[in-house]
Amino acid sequence: MAKVSFHVSLNSVSHVFTDGRLPLRALEDIFLTVPAGQFVSVLGPSGCGKSTLLRIIGGLVRPSSGGVEVAGDAPNRAQATREIGFVFQDPALLPWRTVLGNVTLPLEVTGRRRELAPLLLRLTGLSEFADYYPHQLSGGMQQRTALARALAIDPALLLMDEPFGALDEITRTSMRYELLRIWSAAERRRTVIFVTHSITEALVLSDRVVVLSGQPGRIVADIEVELERPRTPEIERSSAFLDYTDYLREMLNPSRMQGPVVSA
Amino acid sequence: MMRSVLRVIAGCVVPPLLAFALLIAFWESYIAWRDVSIFVMPAPSDIAERFADDPGFFVEEGWWTLYEATLGLLIGSIVALLAAVAMSYSRPLERAIFPIAVAIKVTPLVAISPVLVIVFGFGVMPKLIIATLLCFFPMLVNATIGFRDVNPAQLEFFRSINASPWQVFWKLRAPGSLPYIMSALKITYPLALTGAVVAEWFSGTRGLGYVIYAAWLNLRTAELFAAIAVLAVTGVFIYAVLSLLEQRLLFWHESVRSVR
Amino acid sequence: MKRYLPALLALLLALLVLSCGDDDDEAARDPSPSATPSAEPDKVTFMAGFRAQANLPFVGAYVAKEKGFFAENRLDVEIQHVATPGDNYPALAAGTIQFSTADASELLNKRAGDPPLPIVSIALIGQTGQQGFAVLEDSGIESPVDWTGKTAGYKGATVTPDYLAVLQANGVARDSVTEVRVGFEPQILTEGQVDIFPVFLSNEPDTLARLGFPTRVFTAADYGAPTLGLTYTATEEYVAENPDIVRRFVRAVLQGIAYADENRDEAIDIVLQYAEGADREHQRFMLDTELTMAKDGEAADNGIGYQSIEQWQALHDYQVEHGGIPRALDDVSKAFADFQPATE
Repeated sequence: MAKVSFHVSLNSVSHVFTDGRLPLRALEDIFLTVPAGQFVSVLGPSGCGKSTLLRIIGGLVRPSSGGVEVAGDAPNRAQATREIGFVFQDPALLPWRTVLGNVTLPLEVTGRRRELAPLLLRLTGLSEFADYYPHQLSGGMQQRTALARALAIDPALLLMDEPFGALDEITRTSMRYELLRIWSAAERRRTVIFVTHSITEALVLSDRVVVLSGQPGRIVADIEVELERPRTPEIERSSAFLDYTDYLREMLNPSRMQGPVVSA
Repeated sequence: MMRSVLRVIAGCVVPPLLAFALLIAFWESYIAWRDVSIFVMPAPSDIAERFADDPGFFVEEGWWTLYEATLGLLIGSIVALLAAVAMSYSRPLERAIFPIAVAIKVTPLVAISPVLVIVFGFGVMPKLIIATLLCFFPMLVNATIGFRDVNPAQLEFFRSINASPWQVFWKLRAPGSLPYIMSALKITYPLALTGAVVAEWFSGTRGLGYVIYAAWLNLRTAELFAAIAVLAVTGVFIYAVLSLLEQRLLFWHESVRSVR
Repeated sequence: MKRYLPALLALLLALLVLSCGDDDDEAARDPSPSATPSAEPDKVTFMAGFRAQANLPFVGAYVAKEKGFFAENRLDVEIQHVATPGDNYPALAAGTIQFSTADASELLNKRAGDPPLPIVSIALIGQTGQQGFAVLEDSGIESPVDWTGKTAGYKGATVTPDYLAVLQANGVARDSVTEVRVGFEPQILTEGQVDIFPVFLSNEPDTLARLGFPTRVFTAADYGAPTLGLTYTATEEYVAENPDIVRRFVRAVLQGIAYADENRDEAIDIVLQYAEGADREHQRFMLDTELTMAKDGEAADNGIGYQSIEQWQALHDYQVEHGGIPRALDDVSKAFADFQPATE
């Protein structure tokens, strides 16, 4: 298949951190291709390089070796043309701006129309909170704001690094379905690469789960998740879901890999 | 809103007023008891009497000193802010400017006051320069730290949307440095006041510094202390205004939100 | 309220300590019985009104101490100098010192102050005032008539009566001269910030000349003003309660001055003990100038230290005329007391 039909492709990507006392090999020989519009989860235990992989895809980190392409371009070029949106675990909202102000920020920076901001708030269910400040919001609301902000530049690719990791269980669960709702609402499906260490989360959200494990991180599994969309909470009790869960748990089993494991 | 403002004021003002009243009472009775000569130390009643004699005089001279101090503060702060911006974007510039700033800070400004008069004459200029120099260093240091001390996650977000360095400065560093700048203002405004007074001591015929000097020369101790009292009240007033401003501007900062 | 308790206790403690430390003061203020001669010398403190230098009243004290004139007069004198000019007045008022020096005009000024400081002159050393107005020799200013349109500096809070008297005597309108407050640095004159600079006759003109800036000096006395110079001073109260001590003090210091007059080099040696690092020649100039002025006028016939009601009244009226004192005194004769020893 021609490379250009893939939104994201990684070709033998490795990364070594050299800023510490000893070189740290974070990623080893990653091959990955992601078609446009796919929701992919990168699942793995802590420390296996998932975040690094995400940042490499997004052009925030240049890999030690290997090739990365986003929409046929080098990632930093794709980033320059604002094709990529980020949501991190730390919402990193500007505390002196309201919710509306924060969502408007990328529009100001990129010179797009500011009227888009209220629309984004409506999409993410934040309209009532437009004039609130981040310190007045719960963690879930802050992440929603971060998501709305990331969507403001209308990116074709959305990179999310454990965005719900700091939220409580209940909020996490509801945020997953919120995210799916928002993602499906778009005219053209954005490609999402979603990093998580939760098996449940990966299965609920994704079309595909890539398991990254070990130190240095390597892809140890890559499965299609053939569960019906739209996903609902009932799906979590279906037998297919449980089968996938077992499989993934096995893939993450520490006796199979080196490196620390975190339970789903 | 009014009730809470009143409560804040009451909470802030009553305890020190009480302590102050007690201090005054002790002072007055001590002077009466030990029969201290007024040429050595005036009693609070003497000071109050002198002030009540002509409050307009003290207020007017106080305004003059405040004017010089404020002008010096503005100039010193703006120059410091500009230097801090330059320094935060250029390491060589930082290495060039910082030693000069430290040298200024360490120079006893009281000592160079006469020299400034010799060079710049007898008008407002020497006072302005002293006040400016005093305000420069603290504001420079604080602003530099403020501009540098950005939240890394926020900075990463700006990078991720490919913001230009100017946008990063204007939308992230500048607002984020406000807590540091306000904190510097609270330090430098009183400094500017003191500096203006010291400069007025050496030349010119306006301002509380001159009033204190003339009163001291002529042994008008009650007048001297009255001028000092006016200066102190001015300083407290300025500080209160700045604190209120801080509350309004920095409502979003943890340091301000956690205060009663 | 509980929070402030420690602070209040600390305050109380501090005040108790302060008041307990004051007992020495009481002892110093007890007037020694003036009529009863005692074997022990009387301990007194003399504070010079400026830093240590060869001002004649200072020299009198230095020499009296070093050559034993104080001891001869049964006095044990501690010599101090002000830390900052003006310190001597509160000290006199509080009784921590007994004798000091004061310029005659300033003495009247303090007596007329609000509240008045009751100090008296016990000996008038400077028979004419020391204040002068210097211009650079090459400035083209030949007389005060040329002061029009120039800038004149004044030390202190306002211009002095001497300044106003000079203007008046020369028909110069006050608003035709720019008046600015200056400090003590003579560079203000040499750098041209002012054209006319106030000086002490025995001091700055010599200093400026040594720096290479010869000057021309004008004084109010040139135009007939009845100025007077430095005095020895004490409080009214002390003089009333201890006339014998005062008499002995004046005798001793006048002996000191007489000795200095005859032995100028030795006197400067003594001055340099107190004024470490001072320039010998400049101190000698100061001494010579002031000795001349001390033996001038009335003192030529009546001896150094002479003072009369005529002199004081003339000075007082002159001061009142030119706004040098805030209000006229009721009785100028109270401003001085004659302790000059009868001529042998």
